[in-house]
Amino acid sequence: MECSFALTGKDYVLVAADTTSARSIIKMKVDEDKIKTLSPHLLMAYSGEPGDTVQFAEYIERNIRLYHIRNLYPLRPQSAASWIRRALAESLRSRQSYTVNLLVGGFDTADKTPHLYWIDYLGTMATVPFAAHGYGSYFASSLLDRYHNPDGTLEEGLDALRRAIDETAKRLVVSPGKYTVKVVDKDGVRVIDL
Amino acid sequence: MEAISHAGTVLGVLATDGVVLAAEKKVTGKLLDLSASKEGGYGGSGEKIFLLNSNVIGGVAGLTADANSLVNYARSAAQEHLLNYNEDIPVELLAQRLCDLKQGYTQYGGLRPFGVSLLYAGYDPHYQFQLYHSDPSGNYSGWKATCIGANNGTAQSLLKQEYKDDITVEDAIGLVMRTMSKTMDSTTLGSEKLEFATLTLDPVTKEPKAKIYRPSEVDVLLKKFDLAKKDEDAEMKTA
Amino acid sequence: MNSFATKFSPTDADIELRRAQEIAEEEGMSDVMWGSEAGFGNLVNGHAFNIPSVPDPSSFLRLHTDDHADPNCKIKIQHGTTTLAFRFQGGVIVAVDSRATAGSYIASGTVKKVIEINPYLLGTMAGGAADCQYWETYLGIQCRLHELRNKERISVAAASKYLSNLVYGYKGMGLSMGTMICGWDKTGPAVFYVDSDGTRLKGDLFSVGSGSTFAYGVLDQGYRWDLTDAEAQELGRRSIYAAGHRDAFSGNTCNLYHVKEDGWKFIGNYDITKMHYDGPGEVAGAPGGGYGYDVRTQGRFSALAPTVPA
Repeated sequence: MECSFALTGKDYVLVAADTTSARSIIKMKVDEDKIKTLSPHLLMAYSGEPGDTVQFAEYIERNIRLYHIRNLYPLRPQSAASWIRRALAESLRSRQSYTVNLLVGGFDTADKTPHLYWIDYLGTMATVPFAAHGYGSYFASSLLDRYHNPDGTLEEGLDALRRAIDETAKRLVVSPGKYTVKVVDKDGVRVIDL
Repeated sequence: MEAISHAGTVLGVLATDGVVLAAEKKVTGKLLDLSASKEGGYGGSGEKIFLLNSNVIGGVAGLTADANSLVNYARSAAQEHLLNYNEDIPVELLAQRLCDLKQGYTQYGGLRPFGVSLLYAGYDPHYQFQLYHSDPSGNYSGWKATCIGANNGTAQSLLKQEYKDDITVEDAIGLVMRTMSKTMDSTTLGSEKLEFATLTLDPVTKEPKAKIYRPSEVDVLLKKFDLAKKDEDAEMKTA
Repeated sequence: MNSFATKFSPTDADIELRRAQEIAEEEGMSDVMWGSEAGFGNLVNGHAFNIPSVPDPSSFLRLHTDDHADPNCKIKIQHGTTTLAFRFQGGVIVAVDSRATAGSYIASGTVKKVIEINPYLLGTMAGGAADCQYWETYLGIQCRLHELRNKERISVAAASKYLSNLVYGYKGMGLSMGTMICGWDKTGPAVFYVDSDGTRLKGDLFSVGSGSTFAYGVLDQGYRWDLTDAEAQELGRRSIYAAGHRDAFSGNTCNLYHVKEDGWKFIGNYDITKMHYDGPGEVAGAPGGGYGYDVRTQGRFSALAPTVPA
C-alpha cells in the first residue's frame, strides 16, 4: 500500500515516497517516482486515487512554474503550500474532486528555514516537523515522536527516516519494497540513496 | 494625461531602511471639514495617500474619482492574493495587477482610460523596500526616487542632485520635505497642503510598518525642518 | 475586460453546435449523415462525446449494464480478458486472447483485442470492448491529424498521454478500459499502460485483464531484455496460453503481434486448446509438444499416471 514520509532537520527537509503503482492486487510498476520537484527549493510527494494523483500533481507543477516564470522568483514554501491547499479545497466542492494526499516540503531561501506541510484530500493543511501518509503513518508517527530531532543533521534525519521505513517494512502486511528519497536544502533538490 | 500634469505633486524616495512618500493636496480651504482626519482610521486625510495593504502605501495623482476606484481595486487584489497564498502581496505584483487593469482600458474601445498615475511604496521579502511608478497606459517602473504630478520635472532634477544610494529614512524625510517645499506652488507649507507617509520595518516584529502622518504630526515634522508656515496674520499685518 | 466580452457571448460549444447545424441545413445534411461518418462525424474537430443527460451518468450506465444486480439487463459489457505487451531488444511483443464473455456466457471466441491504430501503433483491449474500440479508433484519427499537421509521426508517449487525458475527462462516468499503447518511435520501442482511472504508466512489461496474474506468472519468469525475436514471440504466446488455460474468462485463441522499427507485423493466431495438447505448431521459438502441464509431464507425477487397463 502507498506510503510516504517526510521530516525536517536543521536546514533541510527529507521527503520519501514508495515507488509502486498498484491496481487491485497487482503491482503494475515498481519504479514510479511519486515526488515532484515543483521549484528549485520545493518538493511534493503525492498519493491517492490513480489518475487523480498525476493529473493534480502536473496541474500544480505547471502553475507553480508559471508563477516562477511570470515573477522571476518562485513562490515561497509557505505560499506555495497555501495555494496548493486551496486548489484541493476548491476541487473538493466541485462535481469531481481530486482525491490526493500530499506532503509539501521546501526550503525558504528568503529566511533560510525548512518548511514541511501535511495536506490531505479534504484540504486540511498542517505545518509539521515530520509527516506521513498511508498505512505507514500508523507506525511512523509514534516512531518519529520518539526519534525525530528538529535540529538534526542530514545524517540524523536519514537515520530517523530509515527507522520509519524499516519499521513499516517489518510490521505492515502489504508494505512497499522500494522508496525514492529526496532532500531539499539551501543547495536545492537532490535524490538520496538510502 | 493632462490632468496628471496639473495634479498635486506626489514624491517618493527609497531609503536603505524604508520608503518615504509625500503629496501635495489641492482640495483645501477654510470651510473644508477635516475633522475626520484628526483621529481614527489609519491616519492621513485620504486625498492623495492611501494604505493599499499592510506592506504597501500608494500615492495618487490625477482624477480623484478614478484614483478611488483604482485604490479599491488594489486593496481587493491584495486581499485576493492573501486569500490564495497566505502572504502579503509582493509589491511589484500589486503594481502589475493595477497595470494589467489600466492597460485593458487602452486596448478595448468605448471606454476611457483611468486618468491616474500612482506611486507604490512597499516592502516584500523578495526585494525588500521598493518604489514603483505606474502611468495611465499601464507602464510601470521601479525607482530610487521619483515624482509625479505638477512640477515633476523640477522635483526630479532636485532629487537627482541630492539622492545618495545609502540614504536612510531619516535623511530621506528631510530630502522629501525640502524638495516638496521647493516644488509646491505655495511658498509655505502646512498640514492642510501636505500628506506624508513612511514605510519601515518594525524593529521588534520585523514586519513592514506603514505610517501615514496625521495633520498634527505633519505640522510637527514641518516645524522640525523649519519649513512651517509663519503666522499668516502676522505676515498680512506687515504687508 | 475579457469578462465583458465573454459574459454576453455564447460559449464555444454553443457556437460550434450552431455552426454545425447551419452547415447541415445549408448543405441538406441530416443527422443520419453525421452519424454515417463512422460515428466520428462530430469528433474529428476535437469535440466532446455525448453523455446521457441524467444527473449521474455512471449509475445510469450501471443500471443498464450490471448483470450481477440484474442478469436480465439489456447491455452486457465484455470484461474477462488477458492481454500483454512487453518491450525487449528486438522491439515490442503484443499478445492477447480472443474470448468475449458476457456473464458466464462465451459471447465470442474470435474477438480482435489488438486495435491497429496505425502502422506503427497498436492498442490492446481490456474492459469495455466498445469503449476501447471507439476511443482507440478515435485516437488513430488524432494521431493521423498530428502526422499531417506536424509532418512527423506522433510519439508513443504523446499518443498515450492524449488517450489518458481524454479518458480522465470521463472519469467516474462509467468508462471501462485497460489498455496498452505500444509502438516504435524516435526513442525506440515503447509501451504505455493507460486505464480509465486516468492512470498512465511507462514500462517494459504489462499485462491487463482477469487473466493477467496468470500471464504475469509465466511472463515475469521468462522475461529478459535480450530475448531473441523467436524467444520473445514464444514467451508472449505461452503466457497467453497460461492465462487462457487457468482463467475461465480468457481463452479460445491467441493473437500475436511484433512491433519493430518499420512498424507492427501480425505474427499469427494460435488455438489455445491446440497449444495445450500439441503446441503452437511449426513456429520459430516453439519447443515442440504441448504446453499443458499434464501433456508436458506425462507419466512423471505418480498420482496422474495414466491408468493401464488390466
